[in-house]
Amino acid sequence: MDIKIKKIDEWRYLIPKTGAMRVPGLVFSSPDLAPNIKDDQSLIQVANVATLPGIIRYSLAMPDIHWGYGFPIGGVAAFDMDEGVISPGGVGYDINCGVRLVTTALMAREIRPRIKGLISELFKAVPTGVGSRGRIRLSRKEASEVALKGALWAVKKGMGTPEDLERTEDRGAMRGADPEAVSERAYKRGHDELGTLGSGNHFLEVQEVREIYDRRVAQVFNLFEGQLTVLIHTGSRGFGHQICDDFLKEMGTRVSQWGIELPDRQLACAPLKSELAGRYLSAMACAANYAWANRQILMHWTREVFERVLQISPADLGMELLYDVCHNIAKIETHLVDGRQMKLCVHRKGATRSLPAGHPSVPERYGTVGQPVLIPGDMGTCSYVLAGAQGAMEETFGSTCHGAGRLLSRKKAIEATKGRAIHRELEDRGIFVQSRGKTTLREEVSEAYKDVSLVVEAVHMAGLATKVAKMRPLGVIKG
Amino acid sequence: MNPSELTYQIIDHAADMGIIVQAADIKDLFMRAAYAMTDIMVEGDIKGKPVRRELTFEGEDLPDLMVRWLGEVLYLFEAEKLIVRDIEITSISEIGLESVLNLARFRGGRHQIAREIKAVTYHQISVERKDGEWEARIIFDI
Repeated sequence: MDIKIKKIDEWRYLIPKTGAMRVPGLVFSSPDLAPNIKDDQSLIQVANVATLPGIIRYSLAMPDIHWGYGFPIGGVAAFDMDEGVISPGGVGYDINCGVRLVTTALMAREIRPRIKGLISELFKAVPTGVGSRGRIRLSRKEASEVALKGALWAVKKGMGTPEDLERTEDRGAMRGADPEAVSERAYKRGHDELGTLGSGNHFLEVQEVREIYDRRVAQVFNLFEGQLTVLIHTGSRGFGHQICDDFLKEMGTRVSQWGIELPDRQLACAPLKSELAGRYLSAMACAANYAWANRQILMHWTREVFERVLQISPADLGMELLYDVCHNIAKIETHLVDGRQMKLCVHRKGATRSLPAGHPSVPERYGTVGQPVLIPGDMGTCSYVLAGAQGAMEETFGSTCHGAGRLLSRKKAIEATKGRAIHRELEDRGIFVQSRGKTTLREEVSEAYKDVSLVVEAVHMAGLATKVAKMRPLGVIKG
Repeated sequence: MNPSELTYQIIDHAADMGIIVQAADIKDLFMRAAYAMTDIMVEGDIKGKPVRRELTFEGEDLPDLMVRWLGEVLYLFEAEKLIVRDIEITSISEIGLESVLNLARFRGGRHQIAREIKAVTYHQISVERKDGEWEARIIFDI
């Protein structure tokens, strides 16, 4: 299939409606990034999503778009609650994969000489990779509690504070979770993985704030130049993977009975009005809650390691959660469509919510500036904090990008790094990395990713979120 | 497993990873796909006291059967830390598979996790006969 793109302006590219597409595609990109996306299959995926029933306005893609499975990564699509569908593939296997940014009262320059010790202790405290079972074993009853209560479960166990919940999307617990909607297989996969990082692109990073772009917003976010921060990127682990898998199979076998024709089996879906869709949403919320508990626990252990290794009091450490966002999720939200408020099911597959100042779902303390939007880059470059913007409400159902986006396949990254010691290269640049998997660092090398700064520039210029601060890694642990 | 059964190609996928497996008959194809997936996930000598499991399930068609089959192998690994050593597929049709698996328990010292596979996807899945040979293409979420 040959996809035609029409440039609207430097930041917007239209895929005109053709064939079975019900709406056009709209890709946010930039003159620097656009040439890359033409080479892979991600634009076909944007067009495929546009064929799903009940899709509203556009099949959208963010500047970090790349070839996924079913939906592209960086894809956003909203569906009418009456006519539309929900697709587990539009959320992804790693339900509520997301990031959490933790600020401290410390200056990075004070910590730099001790970074190796700190990273190696974090590596011991935070289980990484597969097969590394967590320090927590959940009974079946406790697992149901986690699924229902999310981050609150961890806080009740002493792993966090009520303020942490205030600063988590959906207060760390999505409504509508029903532990009974989750299969026993998912509970079995999830019973020893709570409090684990996982592998692939997941990480825990100690960073320094290097640049402030918007002083007013940075002040509200409590970010300042030279500050030490910690960014945690992980999701719902095997618990979420299994839930996605279970529902994809069930929807896959039933999709034809609803008369839905799919261009790709991975797009299996169910009408939002069906019992099956309701059951998926209830199970998906359980996985989202598991992920929030997971990131909450990892933050708590991080706090413990800092206090122990640096021999510092909680007050002097000043470790606080800035915000926690999910970037693989479907949410029922109200948006203005053609002048009327509509309840929609918004799929964000590798996309972050970006709510502007004054939106009722933004935590009160950020109410005047908008939601913190956290954009991790690759381990060798930098990450960004942005603030939600009105443009996102107008154009992308309150969504923006989620990261750098891959450029090279894992295979190509391995080939490109043949004979290179990536950990040494990074150390030469002042970034100390510890990882479990043999090939992880080579697969995750900077060249394998798009330049996150270009991605962030594209959403900033398109008005989908505004730049607030940039952080650079000092130390990273990976699976 | 006979080493000659461990032949597969890697599909170059931007975010994830896939495999292409070929075999003369359909039973072999399914076996080879399971060995290939195991090879991607685990490094090290797969020895140890064997654990025997019988695995029977149904699917919609051959591609669906393949996704479910590899999903079962992945589940055994993640939920029970069991690695495939030997497979006997006793019967297979378009819509069902019966097998006996010999598995080894994952041990940290002996085995190394090479790469985490989150799931076996339906994206561009194909299982078909080409020029007298069976071929399967499967993409994993990594």
